[in-house]
Order: sequence, then C-alpha cells, then structure tokens
Amino acid sequence: MLELKNVTRRFGPNIAVDNVDFVIPEGQMVGVIGASGAGKSTLLRMINRLIDTSEGEINFSGVKTSELKGQKLRDWQRDCAMIFQQFNLVPRIDVLTNVMLGRLNHRSTVASLLNIFSDEERAMAIAALERLGIEKVALQRAGTLSGGQQQRVAIARALMQQPKVILADEPIASLDPRNAQIVMQSLKDINQTDGITVITNLHTLDTARTFCERIIGMQAGRVVFDGGPDDLTEEAARKIYGAEGLEDAFSEAVTSTSLSGPREKSPIGQMPPVIRPAAEQNPAYA
Amino acid sequence: MLTTQPNNPALHIDAEGNYDLDSHFKQLRSQKRLYTFIGLAVLGAALFFSLWFANETNSGKFLDRLPHLFDFVGDMVPRDGWEVWRALFDLPSPYFDGSLQYNYPEGRVYITQNIYVPEYIYKMVETLNIAILSTLIGFIFGFLLCFLAASNLTTKRWLRFTVRRILEVLRAFPEIVIAGFFLAIFSLGPIPAIIAVSIHTIGALGKMFFEVVENADMKPDEGLRAAGGNWIERVWFGIVPQILPNFLSYALLRLEINVRASTILGAVGAGGIGEVLRLSISRGHEAKTLAIILILFSTIVCVDQLSAYLRKRIVGNQAFEFGA
Repeated sequence: MLELKNVTRRFGPNIAVDNVDFVIPEGQMVGVIGASGAGKSTLLRMINRLIDTSEGEINFSGVKTSELKGQKLRDWQRDCAMIFQQFNLVPRIDVLTNVMLGRLNHRSTVASLLNIFSDEERAMAIAALERLGIEKVALQRAGTLSGGQQQRVAIARALMQQPKVILADEPIASLDPRNAQIVMQSLKDINQTDGITVITNLHTLDTARTFCERIIGMQAGRVVFDGGPDDLTEEAARKIYGAEGLEDAFSEAVTSTSLSGPREKSPIGQMPPVIRPAAEQNPAYA
Repeated sequence: MLTTQPNNPALHIDAEGNYDLDSHFKQLRSQKRLYTFIGLAVLGAALFFSLWFANETNSGKFLDRLPHLFDFVGDMVPRDGWEVWRALFDLPSPYFDGSLQYNYPEGRVYITQNIYVPEYIYKMVETLNIAILSTLIGFIFGFLLCFLAASNLTTKRWLRFTVRRILEVLRAFPEIVIAGFFLAIFSLGPIPAIIAVSIHTIGALGKMFFEVVENADMKPDEGLRAAGGNWIERVWFGIVPQILPNFLSYALLRLEINVRASTILGAVGAGGIGEVLRLSISRGHEAKTLAIILILFSTIVCVDQLSAYLRKRIVGNQAFEFGA
C-alpha cells in the first residue's frame, strides 16, 4: 500500500506539487493525467526519490520511503521501478546487459563492474525479453533499437528489479500509436499477471480510460479528480485540463498517442474523431 | 550627445516624426569605422615600439646578425649523403679517424652476439616508451579523478573544488620544471622524465575528461539511479560507455604531445633521443645530428598519423552509433 500524506514539492517560489494526499492499494493500475506542468512527473519522481519531497511524507507498507537514505534508499528504488518517456537506457551497451542492469541493486558492485552476471540472471533477462517479444534484438546495442523496442527493454529492465511498484513517467509520449498500444498492454499485463502496482503518467484522456482502473487528475500541482474511469465526466475533465486545455487534450490524442481498448463507449459525449490503430484487431471497433 | 547614445532610435526622428532608419544606420556605420581605425592604429604603434625595444635590448642587433642565419645549416652538411644513413644504422664510416665524430658502430646495442639495434633507434624507442608510459599513468589517474571533478556527478562542492584545484596544480607547471625538480632527486635517467610528463598529463587529461563528463547525457544515469544503482555503478554503466571514445581520443592527442615533451626532457638530461641530439649538436657531429633529426621527424609524423587515424575511427564510430 502506497500512501502519500500532504506531499508538497517546491522549486524556488514555484509549487510543483501542492499538498497531495492519496492511498494506492497493492495491485492497482493508476493513471495520473493532467496538462503539462501539472506536477505529474514531479509526483512520480518523488515516489521513486529521484527528487525529495519539500513537505509531507510517503509511506510504503509502513516504511517511510520519503526519508530513506543510503543503501535503504537504493533498496526502495529497486522495489519501485521507473520507466521514462525517453527510455533512459544505456545506448552503447547491448540490450541483454541493459536488462541485467536492473539487477544492480541485488548484486555486489565489484561483480557488476567486472560484468559478471550469473546464469540465472541471464536466463531471467532472456525470459523478460521473451515476455515482451523482443528477444531477437537481445544482442544489439540498445541505441540502435526503435523507440517502441527501447521502451520494452526498459520495461524488461524494470521487471528484473522484481519490483513491488512500477512507475511510468509518460511511457508512450514519444511512441507511435501502435507501439504505444503494445507498451500500455504490456504494463497492463504485468499489473494483472504479477499483481504489481502500476502508476503511470499519461497526457491523454482516452489512454487512461482504456487501461487504468483508477484515474488521478492533477491541475497546478493539486489533485482535482480521483476516481474510476467511468466517473471521469466531461465536467471533471474540464476541471483537470481547463476549458481551453480540454480541446488540446483531445487533439493531442489525435496526433500522437490515441489508444483504444476493450472499453465500449466513451463517457465523454462530444469526442472528436480519432485515429484508432487497433481497430482492426478489436472487434468492438470493427 | 549623439555619439554617447548611438543605438537610440529616438534621436533619429525627423521634423514630421518619422524614424529615419537611413541616417541612423549611417551614423552607426561611421562610428564603427572610427573605432576600427583607432584600434588598428593603437595595435600598430604597440607592435612597432615593442619590436624596437626588443631589438635595442638584444645583445646582437637583429638585422646585423641576420646573414649568419644559414651558418649553422652550413655546418650541418655531412661529408657525403650516405654518412647520414651510416650514422642512423651504426655502420662503419670510411672517414673514421679514431674520433667520436665518425665512430658510428660504437653506439650499437647488441641483443645477441650478432644482432644489434642502432643507437638512435634504441634511444627513440626509449623516448617513445617514456611518452607511452606517462600517457598511460596520466590516463588512469585522470580517469579516476575526473568523475569527482564533474559537477553532474559529484554534488559535494568541497570535493569537486578540491579535485579541480589538484588537477590545476598538476598541470600548472610545465614538464621541464617538474623534470628539473625530480632530476635533482633521482639524478639523470628516464625516471624523472616519466614522473614529470605523467604529472602534467594527469592534470591536462583530467581537465579535458571532466569537461567531457559534464557534457554526457544524464538519461542513462537517471535510469540506473531509479533502479537503485549506487554511484560507482551509475558512473561505470551510465556514463563511461558514452564518454570512453572521447577519452581515448584525448589520450591519443596527449600521446602526440608527450612524445615531443619527452624528447625535450631528454635534452635536459632525462635520457632518450633528446639527450643524444643535444650532445651531437653541441659536439658538431653533423651526420649524427642529421640522422637523429631524421628519425625524430619520421617518428613524430608516424605517431601523429597513427593517432589521427585511430581518433577518427574511435570518434567517427561514436557519431555513427549514437543516432538513436
């Protein structure tokens, strides 16, 4: 159970995250939506502790993670894997090693520096790559892969950490619709099969509605919506994105990462027509 | 007041209240020309007077001594063209008269009973070894220190400050000064040269290295940090793979510089080719001097070409493979 209590983060005079308060039970798939600058990334980074909180505390299963230091902190970061918009792989190292780097915290530094990985770790990495369908590129340098493949490598690396939580910071924002679909489906699958809590930042409404069982909407650092996808009415969306931003939120969906899934119909009335790459695969849209 | 506020368009409003761009432009242009002219005049005057001063204070007047420029070159002409090659490969000379000047075989370094390495080639290898070893030592220590000096990896200000000052001190003194100091301690030989060149190399490479590190892409590092990697692991896997080609390129460039530096150090008593060059010039052994200059020149050209080729390959590859 991940619990945020009055979490605030300031950058100089600016408040990026303002008094955020919520509880995420184990195994939930949560989407965090909001316009750019709403504090979504800062929130995720505070949970993983890439940045510190200014005020408030974050607890995970009784451990106050917002105040961990040293090895304890690194252990928490291992348990709380993170996936980034820009993948953050090591481009000049091969894919398999990149995936095995997810084990860094489980191993001795000396063994890591000498590139000594055990057979089990290699088997684990290959299994993770197979699960994501990219075992064929395992020996290529990560930098030579396409964006969608790189993001799947990043997910495989996250799986290697054997995490309890996976945080995904705009995982599909720089992917084409087809790869975005694959990546979101993989996250959903990990959430459902392994029971790992997934918290993902998304900038489009329909992706969040399609894949997440709970949606948290942020506006100017505050949580302005927290509920199931069906509760996300047009009025709620207006509150998250503002009257003018709402239009943008939809048009963005058209141009970049519009996704569709099992959901039958949109709870929001007047949605502009969107390009749905998955339509052929999904009989609901055929 | 026009000249003090040349950029103020308000001063170029005519009677009807229109902004006169043309007159404004002309005014700015003439002012710029005036400044250029004054600057050139001051530069010319400074140059003239400093040259005049240098000539006056010199013991021999420049123009009086100019005809002697080629005397030295005249002294360097060997008795015949083959003498240079005999000197280079330590072959007996037909002009041998018992003096050191024509006693080329004397310097042979025998490996077995019959096989020898010519003296100057042996000395050149010694100089090259000094350069290679010091570059290697400089690379290792520069590599270890640079991450502590880089602001994107070392957040502790005092540590970064200390390491940067250490690197500065190490490269502040020219090799020849450090060598003079260590020559007094260790006496003549290659050891002082190795120490001197290494110290300077640590400082010089360390600075270039940390600037490369500061330009590194931090995304891989962030990814590993979020996965719970510690500092050493993050540096080794997140930073080193991307900066290594640049490090190697700088180290090769430094090797070129160090070959010259260790040659010069030889001339002040640190062994190698520089030492024999100085001796043969001062003794007036024309063929030996030419042989040494020949081997020195060709070695430096070879090292430079090889290093340029390798650097092109290393950095070229990087540019090729980063495109993701």
